[in-house]
Amino acid sequence: MTRALVTGLGTVTPIGLTVHDFWENLTSGVSGVTRITRFDSSELPVHIAAEVKGFDPSKYMDSKGARRMSRFAQLAVAAAQLAADDAQLVLTDNERSRAASAIATGSGGAIDTMEEMMVLKERGPNRVSPFYIPVMAPNMGACQVSIHLGLRGPALASVAACASGLYSFIEAKQLLDSGRADVVLAGGTEAALHPLPIAALANMKALSRNNDDPAGASRPFDLHRDGFVFGEGAVVLVIESESRAKARGARVYAELMGGGLSCDAYHITAPREDGTGAQEAMTEALAAAGLQPTDIDYIAAHGTGTPLNDAAETVAIKLAFGDHARKLAISSPKSMVGHLLGAAGAVGAAAAVLAIYNDLVPPTINLETPDPQCDLDYVPNKARKMTVRAAAANGFGFGGQNGSVVFRKYQP
Amino acid sequence: MATTFERVRDVVVAQLKVKADEVTPEANLVDDLRADSLDIVDLTIAIEEAFQGDAEFEIRDEDAENIHTIQDILDFLAQQGIN
Repeated sequence: MTRALVTGLGTVTPIGLTVHDFWENLTSGVSGVTRITRFDSSELPVHIAAEVKGFDPSKYMDSKGARRMSRFAQLAVAAAQLAADDAQLVLTDNERSRAASAIATGSGGAIDTMEEMMVLKERGPNRVSPFYIPVMAPNMGACQVSIHLGLRGPALASVAACASGLYSFIEAKQLLDSGRADVVLAGGTEAALHPLPIAALANMKALSRNNDDPAGASRPFDLHRDGFVFGEGAVVLVIESESRAKARGARVYAELMGGGLSCDAYHITAPREDGTGAQEAMTEALAAAGLQPTDIDYIAAHGTGTPLNDAAETVAIKLAFGDHARKLAISSPKSMVGHLLGAAGAVGAAAAVLAIYNDLVPPTINLETPDPQCDLDYVPNKARKMTVRAAAANGFGFGGQNGSVVFRKYQP
Repeated sequence: MATTFERVRDVVVAQLKVKADEVTPEANLVDDLRADSLDIVDLTIAIEEAFQGDAEFEIRDEDAENIHTIQDILDFLAQQGIN
């Protein structure tokens, strides 16, 4: 079985459009949450979001190509291009047949459905864009990355709500293990910033209404958390076989050890409060990685900042890690990045990989009042310099889909 | 006031992401301006929208089949009384 190495990173997020800025801000406790600027939110109960600001598609792709993509695909292509550049990835024609993409999303081009529906209603069927179907289809994150980078192996696009991003890394590992691919551009993307989903999630009471303090709104594990902050962005990792990476002398961030998936089989939105579904994903991930709980030093938690998730995740971590749970450094990137939904798992993976590479754990910001139900070490408010031998990234989605992926410091 | 050619040129530049000086009356949409079948459908919609204040018209599929160059678009618009 080949080993799977992380040799490149691309992050297009509310806290940075480069890996340098992303990591700098993530470890300095900078929030990417602001008042909504993309549209008029005055009629909504929620006026805050984590937007990707200053994104210019033409920096990453030709503008005609960009016009045929929904924003979720544009962000994915940009993140994939940045990851390929970061890895200094060069593919010969033969190698392209063994290069794949795995780009997950929660809702794909749902924005375009909303917009074209208005065109259909207000201006009639003759005005509907001929690009609508290939723009909105959720597989287009993966397919556009493959078109853009010339990857002729499989293009996979998992849809697993807020666990989506993590599925990609498990698929990437399987593609390498099975010998189907030598390199996979894997990650998640989401760009669904629109009044419709915000209204729906607000009515569900899932979103923070801390409109007067955007930077303080996402407060995972804090007693006064009141929901997550809707975000957008894309994160892509280059996952490469050890033999290929070695042959070209690639820089290695970390080794992708494996991951675990499970389903709560319980409720469409609420997690199992006994934590057993999420626990099973983490336990499976450890088993797939061939590691013991005590081998893990850091968990990039799902940590959404909803009252239910953070308590249930805490229970699940205790079940999966036993006594070692109290020795773990745990933090929620969402406290700064916001909740990138289908890309959230990939954000967690990037945080885990960079924590291993830099021996530095990003904090959970806005953690001011401890919640008795959340009594582990969430690295409050300040990054922590510490040895990170191995780390896990968690993601749990509506529908009860759970994912956990384990990375380890690369030992040649 | 912009001429009809200038207005068509602006629509073509916006839709096909080409340079303004590439858009000449003789320019072929496919060969010179690199449009594909989806682009041409999209372009006809944009032309309809841009000129809907000038005259009541629709670019039907059989009309679109005869549109190959910028001049063909101008000729079609002239037939609708848009000069």
